[in-house]
Amino acid sequence: MRRYILVRALYSLVTLWLLVTIIFGMVRLTGDPIQMKGEVGADPVYLEEIKKRWGLDKALHQQYASFIGKLLQGDFGHSFEKSLSVRDIYFERLPNSLKLGLAAFVISIVLGVPLGMLSALRVNTWWDNVGKMIALVGLSMPGFFVGMVLIIIFGIELGWLPVLGKGGSALVWGSPSTWLTFWFRDWLHLIMPAFALGWYFSGAMLRITRSGMLDVLGSDYIKLVRLKGVPERMVVAKHALKNSMIPVLTFAGLNLLIMVNVAVVIEVIFNWPGVGQLLYDGLSNRDFPMVQGVVLMSGLMIVMLNFTIDVLYGYVDPRIRLSR
Amino acid sequence: MITRFLAAIAGLTLVAATCTDVAAQSPSRAPILSGPLAKLDIKDAQIQTAKGKPQGTLTIAQHFGLDPGWLDPLEHGYAITQMTYDYLVHDAMIKPMPQGEFTYSLAEQAEMTADFLKAAFRLRPGLKFHDGQPLTTADVKWTYENFKGFYSKLFRDKLEHIQVVDDRTIIFHFKQPFLEFMDLYNGGVSGIGWIVPRHYYEKVGRDGFKAHPIGAGPYKFVSQQAGVQMVFEAWGEYWRRTPATKTIVVKGISQLAARVAGLETGELDLAFGMTGKLLPRVMQDKNLRWVPNYTSVWYLMFPGYNEPDSPFHDKRVRQAVSLAINRQFLARQESQGIGKVWGNWISPENRDAVKGDGTELPLPEFNPEKAKQMLAQTKFPNGFDFEWYVPFVPYLDMGERVVTDLRAVGIRGKLQAVEGPAFRAKIGQGRKGYPGNRTIVQNIDPRPGGAQAPISVYAVCGSPASFVCEPPIEELWAKHQTSRNPEERDRLIKAIQKVLIEEYYMVPMYWNPFVHVVGPRVLPEGKGFERYWDTLHAPYPWPWEVWEVKADK
Repeated sequence: MRRYILVRALYSLVTLWLLVTIIFGMVRLTGDPIQMKGEVGADPVYLEEIKKRWGLDKALHQQYASFIGKLLQGDFGHSFEKSLSVRDIYFERLPNSLKLGLAAFVISIVLGVPLGMLSALRVNTWWDNVGKMIALVGLSMPGFFVGMVLIIIFGIELGWLPVLGKGGSALVWGSPSTWLTFWFRDWLHLIMPAFALGWYFSGAMLRITRSGMLDVLGSDYIKLVRLKGVPERMVVAKHALKNSMIPVLTFAGLNLLIMVNVAVVIEVIFNWPGVGQLLYDGLSNRDFPMVQGVVLMSGLMIVMLNFTIDVLYGYVDPRIRLSR
Repeated sequence: MITRFLAAIAGLTLVAATCTDVAAQSPSRAPILSGPLAKLDIKDAQIQTAKGKPQGTLTIAQHFGLDPGWLDPLEHGYAITQMTYDYLVHDAMIKPMPQGEFTYSLAEQAEMTADFLKAAFRLRPGLKFHDGQPLTTADVKWTYENFKGFYSKLFRDKLEHIQVVDDRTIIFHFKQPFLEFMDLYNGGVSGIGWIVPRHYYEKVGRDGFKAHPIGAGPYKFVSQQAGVQMVFEAWGEYWRRTPATKTIVVKGISQLAARVAGLETGELDLAFGMTGKLLPRVMQDKNLRWVPNYTSVWYLMFPGYNEPDSPFHDKRVRQAVSLAINRQFLARQESQGIGKVWGNWISPENRDAVKGDGTELPLPEFNPEKAKQMLAQTKFPNGFDFEWYVPFVPYLDMGERVVTDLRAVGIRGKLQAVEGPAFRAKIGQGRKGYPGNRTIVQNIDPRPGGAQAPISVYAVCGSPASFVCEPPIEELWAKHQTSRNPEERDRLIKAIQKVLIEEYYMVPMYWNPFVHVVGPRVLPEGKGFERYWDTLHAPYPWPWEVWEVKADK
């Protein structure tokens, strides 16, 4: 098992190194950030000074070595556009993304899983048709559209909910009193963006829960349980639900990471200060360090999640760790 | 009778109060420099002696993500948006104010020798930074010497040495005549005149300063979330007056729809850059008020026009392009008709601009038939295909309309939609940014520094962003660069503008309104709020200390 974990850890490190290298190269193909900062007609000497300040005057391999060297010390560099440390900006934004992502995640689970179960249990009935319709609408109505409709109805017409930003609360790492209060304040600001983000994923959750449940309900061991005369309620709650949840939870975990890291459109529409908007701004402004930092952190989360899942699978199923 | 008497007393008291509250400051000025002096037209500051109490919160939507770098004048770019933050936290020696483009601010006196080899300033007495430390000429000198922003090389190259006479008096000595010094040192043009506290900057460093700056401006920096929000609070000891609004919150909101929604829900009090399809919605909202805030002129350029195989090499073709454009319709579609058809590519707010309203330069004509006739006289009697029409981003709708107008007279091309950074990167290379010589570029550039600034960028051969390179213009430009006579310089700059327009090297379209909108919390209610836009050549409503809002509930 130890060897298995070490091999998986090595794979994860290689994946991260590849990611770092690819993003380092790709972001440099997007254009020249100096022209962005210097603006039209800038003195070439002034542009050279900016280039030097940003370390872009060095050869590519030197830039890469410097980037990796700093990275190993936990330094993502300085944002070209926002002029401060990428790490500081990222960790200032991360709690906002986590708050939005978790709320959207809860909405997607609360809406998607029960409806998916209901659809599976009442397959080919009116309930199932309603469930399928909700899933279809959820998957085909993009989050930005839902967001705009919500803004018009609940923000502008009814005036019930604020439309901009996350409110005044902030999680400040140096201030422990905010670590807890942050999550429970400014809920009104959270409702619309969380719903707009969670809505799409609830459709997907509904579909995967329904198909997982149907698979399990049609399996031999469920037939056996039923033959034994176990009440249907127990069949569903104790035997079917548990087993059908394995793919749902795996999918939900990945969804959560996506919601935290790449809710770009929703963040832009609601002016929600999350990491997705950082990535958007970084790409728009050719802010290499920012793009590298945000992509690296997202990749790190995914790699860590996959590593954890691999290790858990190894524990749960000895065939997996023995076969590798 | 008694009522009338009381009303008269009240009226007189009000007049007396007004007289004492606001006074143009004219200190007795002992000369600093000896010998003949250049004539400078710098207006006196208006100091409001009565101290009111700041109240309320003004929430502003900036239409970009916020850059903490904007809080540091030492790295001042050309971007005019940064000056919004200069006017909040910092203060300049001289800067544009409602009473004039050059107005005394930290300095109460400025002189320049007639040979333009020395410039001197005297600071007003008792100046200090937000932390209570005195602002002296040592800070002025340090700011100049450590400035790394736009024009820094020019300022460095021209400087011989700086002489600090005393805490309030400073003299800049130049190696050669520095005619543009006062123009460029003005806070409306570069960052070098916005004075940074040396003691604090050296203590906290560059990043520390950007994260938490202090200055000598009307508002103290309180907090920020990089890119998202900045909060400022009124500084009661500002020398000119106590700011009227207690708290100013600036939010970075790049999406127009989000800004409009924020205004409609009352989460925002001031938002910039309303345009296109959402503009009518704002105009129809009874709770919102708007100002046109004319800034710069939309215009077209023809990269590579001077190459013989370019269709735009022929002046008549360029003229046909101009005749084909229905500017009135464009202005109506893009700006609800408040944009003004204009005959010069340089904004009339520049003191040395030639007026394009039909008085000094004719209003451009819309005449498709004449355009066809012009084309018929050229090598292209049946029109021709050009490669790309590159509109300024994100004004793609406007680009489509121009392309349609051109197609109607036989000038057929496609719209090239590029994203903002790519557009800026290309245009920054001038003619070299566009392969081939069959492209039309649409641009707008609210550049400070007078008409000479855009000319020096787009219309002279030596600029890295040059689109026009013509011997007659070069000759005039060379004379301008060597002339020490301000009147002659203005004359030469105006002559260049006329060549550019009459030869159709630049094809102006309309004077663009950069519409700003305020919500119901902004005072005064109804009309009268337009005074916040009185500062000449300012695309934003500076200065901030005069802004009034209702008290917070």
